[in-house]
Amino acid sequence: MRKPIRLVTILLILLPVMLAAQDQSVKSMTEINVHLLGPLRIDNLPPVAIPPDNPQSSQKIQLGKLLYFDTRLSKDNTISCATCHDPAMGWSDAGPTSKGINSQMGGRRSPPVSNAAYNPLQFWDGRAPSLEEQSKGPIQNPIEMGNTHEVMIKTVEDIPGYVEIFKKVFREPKITIDMVADAIASFERTVVTTDSPFDRFVKGDDKSLTPLEKEGLEIFNGKGHCSSCHWGGNFSDGRFHNLGVNPTDIAKPDEGRFVITKDPKDMGAFKTPTVRDASLRAPYMHNGSEKTLEEVVEFYNIGGRVDDPNLDPLIVPLGLNDGEKKALVAFMTRALISTNPEVSNVKPVETSEFPK
Amino acid sequence: MKKLNGFLFIIFIIEIIIPIDTPAIPAFARKYGFNCNMCHSGYTRLNDWGQRFRDDGYQIPGQEGTEKTVFDTPPPIAMRTTFGYTAYNTDEGTSTTFNIHGLDLLAAGVMHKNISFLLIYTPRIDEPSGYFFIQDSLQGNPSQLGALESASLVFSNIIQDALNIRVGRFEPAYHVFSSKRSYYLFQPYEVYNLTTPHNTYVFNDNQLGIECTGHFRSGFKYAAGILNGNGANPDNNNYKDIYANIMQTFGKGDGQSAGQRLGLFGYYGWQPLQSPGTIVGPSGETNGSDNKTFYRVGVTGSFNWNAFNLQVLYMTGIDNKAFNTIEPTEDYKYNGGLVELDYPALFNNRLAASIMFNWVTPPSYDAEREIKAYSALLRYYLGDWTAVNIAMHLEYTYRETGKENKFKENLVALALDFAF
Repeated sequence: MRKPIRLVTILLILLPVMLAAQDQSVKSMTEINVHLLGPLRIDNLPPVAIPPDNPQSSQKIQLGKLLYFDTRLSKDNTISCATCHDPAMGWSDAGPTSKGINSQMGGRRSPPVSNAAYNPLQFWDGRAPSLEEQSKGPIQNPIEMGNTHEVMIKTVEDIPGYVEIFKKVFREPKITIDMVADAIASFERTVVTTDSPFDRFVKGDDKSLTPLEKEGLEIFNGKGHCSSCHWGGNFSDGRFHNLGVNPTDIAKPDEGRFVITKDPKDMGAFKTPTVRDASLRAPYMHNGSEKTLEEVVEFYNIGGRVDDPNLDPLIVPLGLNDGEKKALVAFMTRALISTNPEVSNVKPVETSEFPK
Repeated sequence: MKKLNGFLFIIFIIEIIIPIDTPAIPAFARKYGFNCNMCHSGYTRLNDWGQRFRDDGYQIPGQEGTEKTVFDTPPPIAMRTTFGYTAYNTDEGTSTTFNIHGLDLLAAGVMHKNISFLLIYTPRIDEPSGYFFIQDSLQGNPSQLGALESASLVFSNIIQDALNIRVGRFEPAYHVFSSKRSYYLFQPYEVYNLTTPHNTYVFNDNQLGIECTGHFRSGFKYAAGILNGNGANPDNNNYKDIYANIMQTFGKGDGQSAGQRLGLFGYYGWQPLQSPGTIVGPSGETNGSDNKTFYRVGVTGSFNWNAFNLQVLYMTGIDNKAFNTIEPTEDYKYNGGLVELDYPALFNNRLAASIMFNWVTPPSYDAEREIKAYSALLRYYLGDWTAVNIAMHLEYTYRETGKENKFKENLVALALDFAF
């Protein structure tokens, strides 16, 4: 019986050493901040956090809106931010993936701009730490807007109307890519979808949800396990998960977050999108591989389509029956549709309204 | 026979009145804002997600080491109690009563990165008393003993998922089907509770010791540990008991609510024939002498089809013949097990239905310990999207004890089981 005692003693001695060794895998501050958030109960959205180095102003927001809808930011004047992030399509597009200049198809679905202000990291793979950084990306992406920052700035500088507005907003003689990014990000921070039936329900309006939607909400937060990732006011943990999604190209599956972190745990992992207004922007998943909300629910119910070796341990078959699936779809179809007019009534800028 | 029946009657009443420790931990639900059924197929039974959460040291699966600690969250304290009406019938008569079936105080959470804890305290309860006879009542017979049912620390993710260590008093991993998280409030797993002659080890007890566990993406899990083997008490001998448990899940899931799981467990222990011994240590333990061995081995299966879950356990135990006060020339051998079919139904598993057969087959010369128990239950959960934490519980058991002269019992219980 001495042997087990010796084994215990050795394990106890080794324990602090093992824990200390673990601490050496230091993560970036952004990573840490992402993980310190929650989970939190699904709820109303909190106010958007405004970065101190890019304060909001009505003029800056208006400038950002003009830039957001202006196709002249692209190489061939055909693509604007709104082309792929269309307010009429839940701030995304028809998909399954996005079409850029010269009808080139991107590899991933257009993520919604609505409530993107709440994401700790931007893009499906989280490669941009802020909306400002994110907004710079597509302009110079060869299959999105296909431009360069320098050419795009030159284009804007050649439009006197823009020059005047930039001067008013930034009080600087020269337009820079950072100003463009700040303005677009400021506008995007106003695209916050609130006042959905769910929001009214959690504020105490019991009649804002139908009985079926209430069942769906309960399943969303319980047996359906949805809120284990889609939590908090934005129904998103902002984290990255490999869900076992059917790859677009089986021979060369999208590596997702792994491309950024090189951490094997992130292989095939993509950011959790918000579920708010989800019914406005089918198809679903990072590659648009699930066409309807019904398909999405079935996807999770069977524990993912692909038995990926890196499948997130949160993904387990759910055992939902037909009634539960219907309730879940009902909840996501209507109860999370925002009706706040400042967002739901946003219309594209008319051609005549763009600066000349 | 009347004496024996009276003894069995008292044992059964004790089982009814003293609560079966069944932790469901609303402190976690409160921490995350999750509904109970994120982790449970109707509390207290864990689903796959809840099992993984437990295996990961009360941390969200896949996000170990990044949890809010108890210092960042509301106090992680929860309570659970059960109030109900029971009707109990034997050949000798029927008794009915309202009663409160104890109270569990629970606390659990993450203390530091990858270090979590679980405390379950059952306070001593003198009222309602656990009296059966007037003289017991006058002597202050409590219906619940004050006890630290669990007090353990878990060091998780030491070598990723491959090594976690739990120390303290805890439910050992060889309880593959946890009696603590069974739907049944009044009918225990009989084979867990069997006491064999002259051996104080009880399979069902939470134990003091240390346990290593690991789980892998392949669906393989292991656990191994070293224990006193003396329940909540200091050891009664200088030998430590050891155990191991391995399981493999086939298909997606963890075998709780999806996938098919098979397992094998074994326990090897020592108990003294002479106790107390000659040395009493600073914490009161005694080095009982003339220690003899016993072991328990078993196989388990958990099979899922649609919402049905079938749990099967078969185990056998052998105690050294030195323990055998009935037939001293032979090792004491017995077997037993359970077959339980659970069906969580209605939306969000608001209804749980279950049937169960439990048995213990002792050696032929000790037939009075033979047990067969047939049980069924329905639990309907009240609540809303934030929690379904009140269970309306209806349970029935028919139990036979003995072989030649069977002692037959019927129990019907209607209870409210709630936690917050």
